[in-house]
Amino acid sequence: MKADEEAQDQAASIAEVREAVKRFAAPEGGIVTALDGVSLKVRPSEFVTLLGPSGCGKTTLLRAISGFEELDAGEVRIAGAPMTGVPPHRRPVNTVFQNYALFPHLSVGDNVGYGLDVAGVPRAERNTRVGETLERIGLDGYERRRPDQLSGGQRQRVALARAIINQPKLLLLDEPLSALDRNLRKAMQLELKNLQHDLGICFVFVTHDQEEALTMSDRVAVLNAGRIEQVAAPETHYHRPATRFVAEFIGDGALFSGRVEGPAKDPVLVTADGLRFAVASGTPAGQEATLLLRPEHLEAAPKSPRASHGVIEARLEQSVFLGALHQFVCRLANGATIIAAPTGAGAGNLSEVAIGDSIRLAYRRDQPHLIPEVGDGA
Amino acid sequence: MKRGWVKRLLSLHGVLFLVFVYAPIVMVVVLSFNSNPINMMIWSGFTFDWYWSILGYPTQLNEQTLYVESTDQLLGAVKNSLIVAVSTTTISTILGTMTALALYRYRFRAQRFYQGLLYMPMVMPDIVLGIALLVFFVGFGVALGVMSIIIGHCTFLISYVFVVVSARLAGMDDTLEQASADLGANEWVTFRRITLPQILPGVIGGALLAFIISMDDLVITYFIAGVDSTTLPVFIYGMLRRGVKPEINAIATLMLTLSFIIATLGLYLRRRH
Repeated sequence: MKADEEAQDQAASIAEVREAVKRFAAPEGGIVTALDGVSLKVRPSEFVTLLGPSGCGKTTLLRAISGFEELDAGEVRIAGAPMTGVPPHRRPVNTVFQNYALFPHLSVGDNVGYGLDVAGVPRAERNTRVGETLERIGLDGYERRRPDQLSGGQRQRVALARAIINQPKLLLLDEPLSALDRNLRKAMQLELKNLQHDLGICFVFVTHDQEEALTMSDRVAVLNAGRIEQVAAPETHYHRPATRFVAEFIGDGALFSGRVEGPAKDPVLVTADGLRFAVASGTPAGQEATLLLRPEHLEAAPKSPRASHGVIEARLEQSVFLGALHQFVCRLANGATIIAAPTGAGAGNLSEVAIGDSIRLAYRRDQPHLIPEVGDGA
Repeated sequence: MKRGWVKRLLSLHGVLFLVFVYAPIVMVVVLSFNSNPINMMIWSGFTFDWYWSILGYPTQLNEQTLYVESTDQLLGAVKNSLIVAVSTTTISTILGTMTALALYRYRFRAQRFYQGLLYMPMVMPDIVLGIALLVFFVGFGVALGVMSIIIGHCTFLISYVFVVVSARLAGMDDTLEQASADLGANEWVTFRRITLPQILPGVIGGALLAFIISMDDLVITYFIAGVDSTTLPVFIYGMLRRGVKPEINAIATLMLTLSFIIATLGLYLRRRH
């Protein structure tokens, strides 16, 4: 990247993490690398989600941005300013904590107004802003309540109000919805998204729930073992995952690794145990790759399949009715399980197959994504 | 199902236990109002005179039985006790709370060992601590007096405050301090507005405990008190050596009342938080 381009890019990013490395001494001895060279940019008014299994480093990354963890290497910049050595209370970010961390001895109003009180905002202005913020999150009139008199969802809102009242450049959210029940969580997801849109500030949201990540985010960063696997829009993660890990972590699907063989017009992925899958024409032969077959790619194969389709021989194991769609759990010759959830006419044909019978599934050969094998086997 | 007599036996056990614990104390309180100057175990009438006499007022129970030779001495001992208790409570509450905060917040090498060292003065026999402090003070030429008692009491009262405050800290949500810092508060503001209110019941509890122990301590004080710096327990002990006199009951009842007030205050404050 050219220097001026880089400068421009820098001005445009609200937060930037460069080559962040963080190691911890594990309690049982040894060193755990929580962040292993992570780089990430957050653009203005963007909703970015850090997604990954527990222990992948997503919370550590969040805490490195908020200042509660110091990096061993690399740096964090917020609005272009380097944050190395800047303590949490001087960083222009605010956090919604996983357990909300409401101050139990303060009323809702004093919790929400805490940031303003600390900053020395005059009383009248402070009270007006507390009132406005509580109204915005639908808790007007709750100023005098105590946190222990609130429900889980209300506490969540107070924590949110407390964090946005200072109008931070960046709001960090550490699995804020994990303690809520399913229905409330769904409602809060949409509300958070709306709030972010209205406020126009960046949200960096940490979660291990892929559905949550896909629903709310402009971009999702998938982390695994201290590294970022892929940063992309939710659709890209789903349809074109960059690595096998992302493909496994996001959405359902079956993965088959092998080598591409055959002519360019009719290439086939051959797995180690001899299964053959037709792949998109033009895929160069000799390449090691992993094929991702999503349930919706698969349907019942017609009697004489066209050349544009790949066909899989399997045995129907289970048929699961899920309301909007119908899932067919099938087993392949090598023992692998594959799920088909055909839409449209393909579903009807499959419903007639009895459990235990052999079945032929077909997919458009250009539809499934092929993940090229990278050098280090990721 | 328990049979009737088993239940009755259990109730009896409960009653006997309470009698065993409280009968002597009740007796002291009752006897402090007995007007018999010769044999306190024989009730001869109700009187407040022992209370008046320890305060130095002349009473009908004439001078011949009045044991407190000098009320000034008694009041001096009370004054010393209060000076010592207030000073040690202040010092040990501040230092004990700071120590608890330090051990809560930081992880360092040999932390467990250090923690063990802090618990030690609580289990150390008083007599050992008393002798050790005496040898130390004499060896380093520290004059024995109110100051040496204050220093001596602080050495073990810091541990008590540390334990009580640590227990409170262990129950505190440590993300509260982070949330405060996140909202722009520096360390001092965070301590004043978040941490201290959270641990206040522990700090007050530790302070009351320190006050009562300091007021009550005999063994250690006995070793390190100078000639002119007798505290109340040491003074009473001195009185007892020359025979149990009715005034002692009155003094004991007053001390009991004070302890009771402090304990009630502690419970009240605990409930409010």
